Amino acid sequence: MTDTKITNRRDFLVKSVTALSIIYVVPDIFPMADASIKKPFDKKVNASTKWGMNVEVDKCVDGCTACVEACIDENGLYGLDRPETDSQWIRKLVIKDIASDKVTTLPMMCQHCENPPCCDVCPTGASFRREDGIVMVNQHTCIGCRYCMMACPFKARSFVHENLTQQLTSAPRGKGCVESCNLCVNRIDHGSETTACEEACMKEGHVAISFGDLTDPNSRVSKSIKRTNNRRLRADLKLKQSVTYSGF
Amino acid sequence: MLLALYSNNLYSHDGEKHIIKGHSKADKLEQCVEPTEDMQKNHFGYLYHQRDETVKHGIRTKQHSLANCIDCHVSYDDKGDAISINSEGQFCQTCHVQTAVNIDCFTCHATVPREKQVRLDLKHNQDSATTIEEHTSSLAKYFNETNDDRY
Repeated sequence: MTDTKITNRRDFLVKSVTALSIIYVVPDIFPMADASIKKPFDKKVNASTKWGMNVEVDKCVDGCTACVEACIDENGLYGLDRPETDSQWIRKLVIKDIASDKVTTLPMMCQHCENPPCCDVCPTGASFRREDGIVMVNQHTCIGCRYCMMACPFKARSFVHENLTQQLTSAPRGKGCVESCNLCVNRIDHGSETTACEEACMKEGHVAISFGDLTDPNSRVSKSIKRTNNRRLRADLKLKQSVTYSGF
Repeated sequence: MLLALYSNNLYSHDGEKHIIKGHSKADKLEQCVEPTEDMQKNHFGYLYHQRDETVKHGIRTKQHSLANCIDCHVSYDDKGDAISINSEGQFCQTCHVQTAVNIDCFTCHATVPREKQVRLDLKHNQDSATTIEEHTSSLAKYFNETNDDRY
C-alpha cells in the first residue's frame, strides 16, 4: 500500500499534475460532452456556447420580407408608421455589383461582434456582450445617448423616440432606449434553437439563414459555414462578427 | 426593543387591508413567492436583483421575475380581459399611490400578460403553435416531413 502514499517531492508533483490535468485538460479535449444539455433556467450563460448565424446570400430572395415580419411579430416592434424613426432590428438590403450588374439581397441585423464597437463607446456599460456571444442593450442602464448607433458600422441599432404601449411580455422596450437584434434571447434562454427570422426563412422554403451554436460542429450554422465559403462584412475592421455571410 | 417595534404592523398605513377589485390568481393563494411581510418590504429588492441576473446572465427562473408577478397578480374584468396592473385601483398602484412612490417598470414592460399579437400567414399552417416549445417541435416535424437532407 506504499504506492498510494505521497512519499517524496517527486511523487507529490507527479500526482498533483495528473490531478490538475484531469480537472482542466480533459474537459477541454471533450468540450462537447455537456453541450447537448440545455441550459437550466437557474444557470448563468457561459462561453461554452457561442450563438451565431450564417446567411447564404444566394438563397435570399428579392422581395421576400419574411424574416423582417417575423422579427416584428416576435418582438412586438409595432411602428408608428414613421419609417425614418421606427425601430428596425433586421432589414433587407439590396446590393448591386458594379462590374456584373448582379443584384443580391441580404438581411442585415446586429452582427454580434466579438469586439463590439457599440460596447466600447457606451458610457454606462449598457451595451454589453453576453458570455454566449449575444451583444445586447441593458435597457435598465441605457441613457439613450445613441453613441452606439454612431459607432456601429452596420447601422444595426434603433432608438425608441416615442412612448410605447403594446409591448410584449417577452420583449420589453420603451422610450429613450436604444435597441437592436438580440438573437431572440428570450426564446434561446427558454430552450429554443431557432430565432424568429431563421424560422420564418425556413418556413418560406428559402433556408438562407442558419442559426446555431458555433462551437457545436453539428449545429445548422456550423454545417452551413462548412458547406459554403462564408465571410464577415467589413472584415478589415477586425470586429469578429458572429453573423457571417456567404455566397456573394 | 427595535425588533419589537418592527414586528408591529408597520406596513399597513391605515390598518386596513387593501382589497383589489376583480379577481387574480394571487387572490386565491395563501402567500406570494416569499412570506407576505417580506414581499411587502423587499419586493423591489428581489425584482432589482432578478433583472440584472436575467439581462446579463440569462437566468430565467420564474420566482422573482416581473413577468411572473404580473401573470399572477393581474386582475380580469367581466369579459375576461386582463386589466393593466398599473391602472388605478389595481395591484401595483393601490400601494404605490398611497406611498407616493412612482413605478418606472411599465414604461417598457407589459402591464398585462401579452404574447405575440400579429400572426403571420405561414405556409405550413402552424398558426396554432403558441409556445416556443411548440414552435420548435413543429419546425422539427416540418423538416422530417419534407425530408430536408441539408440538416
